[in-house]
Amino acid sequence: MTFRQARWDEPDVWDLAPPPAGEAPPEVPGIPDRMRRKEAVRWPELGELEVVRHYTRLSQMNFGIDTVPYALGSCTMKYNPKVSELLARRPGAADLHPYQPEATAQGALEVIWRLEKILARVTGLSEVSLQPGAGAHGEWAALLMVRAYFRDRGELDQRTEVLLPDTAHGTNPASAMMAGFSTREIPSKEGCVDLAALRGAVSDKTACFMLTNPNTAGLFESDILEIAEIVHGAGGTLYYDGANLNAILGVTHPGRMGFDVAHLNLHKTFATPHGGGGPGAGVLAAGEKLGPYLPVPRVVKSGRKFRFDYDRPKSIGKIKTAYGNFGLDLRAFVFALTHGEEGLNHVSRRAVLNSNYLGLKMGKYLPRPFRTLVKHEFLLSGVPLKAKGVRTLDLAKRLLDEGVHAPTVYFPSLVEEALMIELPETESKRELDGYIAAFERAVTDSPENLHAAPRNLAVGRIDEVLAAREPRLSWKDLRAHPAKVETPGSVRPAP
Amino acid sequence: MPRWIPNEPGEEAALLEALGISSVEQLFTDVPKKARIGRLGVGPGHEEREVVRAVDQILERNKPLSRFANFLGGRISSRYSPAAVDAIVSRSEFYTSYTPYQPEASQGMLRVLFEFQSLWVELTGLDVANASLYDGATATGEAVLFCRRIHEGRRFLIPASLPWEEKSVLLNYASGPQLEVQEVPYDDRTGRLDLEAVRKAVASGDVFGMLADVPNGFGHIDEGVAELKGILGTIPLVVSADPLSLSVLEAPGRYGADVVVGEGQGFGVSPSFGGPLLGLFACREENVRAAPGRIVGASHDLDGRRAYALTLQTREQHIRRSRATSNICTNQSLIALAFVVYATTVGPRGLADLQRSLAEKARTLASALGGIDGLQAPRFDAPYLGEFTVELGRGTAAEFLDRLRRRKVLGGHALADPRPGSPPAPERLLVAPSDAIGAKEIEKYARAARAAIEAVGRSA
Repeated sequence: MTFRQARWDEPDVWDLAPPPAGEAPPEVPGIPDRMRRKEAVRWPELGELEVVRHYTRLSQMNFGIDTVPYALGSCTMKYNPKVSELLARRPGAADLHPYQPEATAQGALEVIWRLEKILARVTGLSEVSLQPGAGAHGEWAALLMVRAYFRDRGELDQRTEVLLPDTAHGTNPASAMMAGFSTREIPSKEGCVDLAALRGAVSDKTACFMLTNPNTAGLFESDILEIAEIVHGAGGTLYYDGANLNAILGVTHPGRMGFDVAHLNLHKTFATPHGGGGPGAGVLAAGEKLGPYLPVPRVVKSGRKFRFDYDRPKSIGKIKTAYGNFGLDLRAFVFALTHGEEGLNHVSRRAVLNSNYLGLKMGKYLPRPFRTLVKHEFLLSGVPLKAKGVRTLDLAKRLLDEGVHAPTVYFPSLVEEALMIELPETESKRELDGYIAAFERAVTDSPENLHAAPRNLAVGRIDEVLAAREPRLSWKDLRAHPAKVETPGSVRPAP
Repeated sequence: MPRWIPNEPGEEAALLEALGISSVEQLFTDVPKKARIGRLGVGPGHEEREVVRAVDQILERNKPLSRFANFLGGRISSRYSPAAVDAIVSRSEFYTSYTPYQPEASQGMLRVLFEFQSLWVELTGLDVANASLYDGATATGEAVLFCRRIHEGRRFLIPASLPWEEKSVLLNYASGPQLEVQEVPYDDRTGRLDLEAVRKAVASGDVFGMLADVPNGFGHIDEGVAELKGILGTIPLVVSADPLSLSVLEAPGRYGADVVVGEGQGFGVSPSFGGPLLGLFACREENVRAAPGRIVGASHDLDGRRAYALTLQTREQHIRRSRATSNICTNQSLIALAFVVYATTVGPRGLADLQRSLAEKARTLASALGGIDGLQAPRFDAPYLGEFTVELGRGTAAEFLDRLRRRKVLGGHALADPRPGSPPAPERLLVAPSDAIGAKEIEKYARAARAAIEAVGRSA
């Protein structure tokens, strides 16, 4: 299959109808002069068709799950069911204000309550809040809960350290820093937590150990029960990063593994759309120890009525406006209702089957670090390509030319020239074989072609160093610093 | 089993065969038996048709805003959005895409985000914007941490009138690095910031930043905000601004704001019971490397064609880990798309006209409520645009709003912190006529308000 992405020479929106400078804004009575805008907002005035055409053209220069397989490891790019989009746009879901009286939003409260109950089952942790805006937001909030817990125990001054493995997602150490902890990395052994190193690192300073299981090497941390024992033995808490939950639905759960608190990403496991980087939807789940510290309000059921409960004296308070991303919670609820017990179990079995199959086939072309029994994702190393002068980055760009999205690259950092690959359960064997064939063509192509990739996309290889060295971050910057070499182009004849 | 998991006859068998195993369970031997679970207990799955029916039945227990005369506001709006906006947002090339880690394959979304950044720069009068944060409240929290990175000190000043939710979120952001948050009181008649208190706080030292909001937590426009930078000097000023108001109000960058944050949901997406929302963030060029979140920059490809990519990533968690400026990984790209498509469809004149018309509705409402004995509307003697605060002379805001609701009026929302144990607060509500409100609905509100306050008087 030959792939060609649309290549519109579409002008930027301000070049379609350059807005004049110095226009006076409309008068609004009563505004004090000091606060009145002196010059009207400079933004183009376009007809609706022009607007629609502009953004439709831009959409055609963008990969999405609906057009290509998206093999980004740890991102769990599964199909976003259309029925969820339909239901989230119903007036009974979309046309609701978070401050309208509880009596007029019983259905919304019920969706939240029921989804929380389902997620409590899925995580094995009894207390759930849907307030976080995304996974990292949940990580940070969970660590604030850990802080509050140790403050109540009078141990906050002492427990200042968050431990994490060197395979951890970058958000983990960043969240720990934002929550006021210092971080300490535990080296891995064969891709998993080195128990001896962990034993040596825990102390009465340990507040929390943050772990993803399966981890970012796609390996299940089989020593998880010992890990929990070590952390709890030192008086610390155990945090579950749920980014990789898609591998373990109905197999195990954070509660059974000994975790005290977890975040989930509904935009991964529960198939809510990623929207070009967001919105996401985060979940916080906690056991008895940390449950009282969850954000308010919680949704409770009294008799047949649902209501918000703010009476949680130990709660950390609010972490976001309103109650979380309800529009996405509803989509996740649809996903859970549709799958049910059998379906959710099947999700992980098929995701892991896909991953092991891909690993087996793609492992013929590049080495696989660590053991080959993997969960939802696996790693390859692009090191052998270096002999030909080819980097993992070149391979990623060449894959794009095949009309498939590249894997996550250069992560985790413990594997040199890493590729992290995940095609979840919604991809058929045919699509997997197509991906493998595309990978074979790419990895066996000549160094010249690999260096010249991509050629079939809206633009060729981008100079990302220039973007960072001489930042141009808005149309004002473009006007102030027009680059000589650029040809923005236009589909319209010059006036 | 949902169709979403492919299940062609023989498909799984072929995958298993390739792996040389007979059962998928053989792929889970690395999960120790003691860690295995039995059933989840989440009930059986359902066909799509059944799920639609079940979910619709639940949603029927909601009463959408359109069934009421709606005066709910705050940072979240239910104003009409042209159908073209959702049509673009519904393009699955956009909504099923991921963070543009491979920029060559994602020029569409990158260009949208660049346009979005440009628009927020234009509205705020600042130099650079990021590609969005979760919501206005978290953007304000991130702004506090940002100020601390660019200025020394331990104390951050906020208006005492800041809505309790935003205050709570902000306190959480400040709690990690153990920053002190000090409330600046307001004048009881006008609701305006006490500038003398700001002067005193600054003079006592150790202040690393200050937040002011436009409109403020009471819905009013405080011209004192334009004088703050003169008092703060080099201390960073954060202004939290309603984007629609900026169509007619001065760009905060022009009166010295170093950061402008805001809630952008009202541009193109429905309220959806409070999410997804859109956090807006802009700052000055010299501080961009301290900014949180994703940022899109312009560059070119090897043939010299203009191209866009995520940039300045050395600030970010996936590179810098515990030394990152923020833990942000997810932004709100799709809502940022709605924001820029909404603004471009409506156009700058359309935005200003809308703001003017909402301000007229608010003034009409204020005069309709002004003569009612037992409530003060507006409570504060200060200019306003589309919303203002009402204070009740008797009864509680909750009771008042409940009585209005029974007459099909959503009369605003109570401003007091609902958490038990919160300090006692006056019975105030924020009232914001939506764009669907006309003279008839305003009369309805006034009638319902009069009846409600009289009923409270009788029972008292």
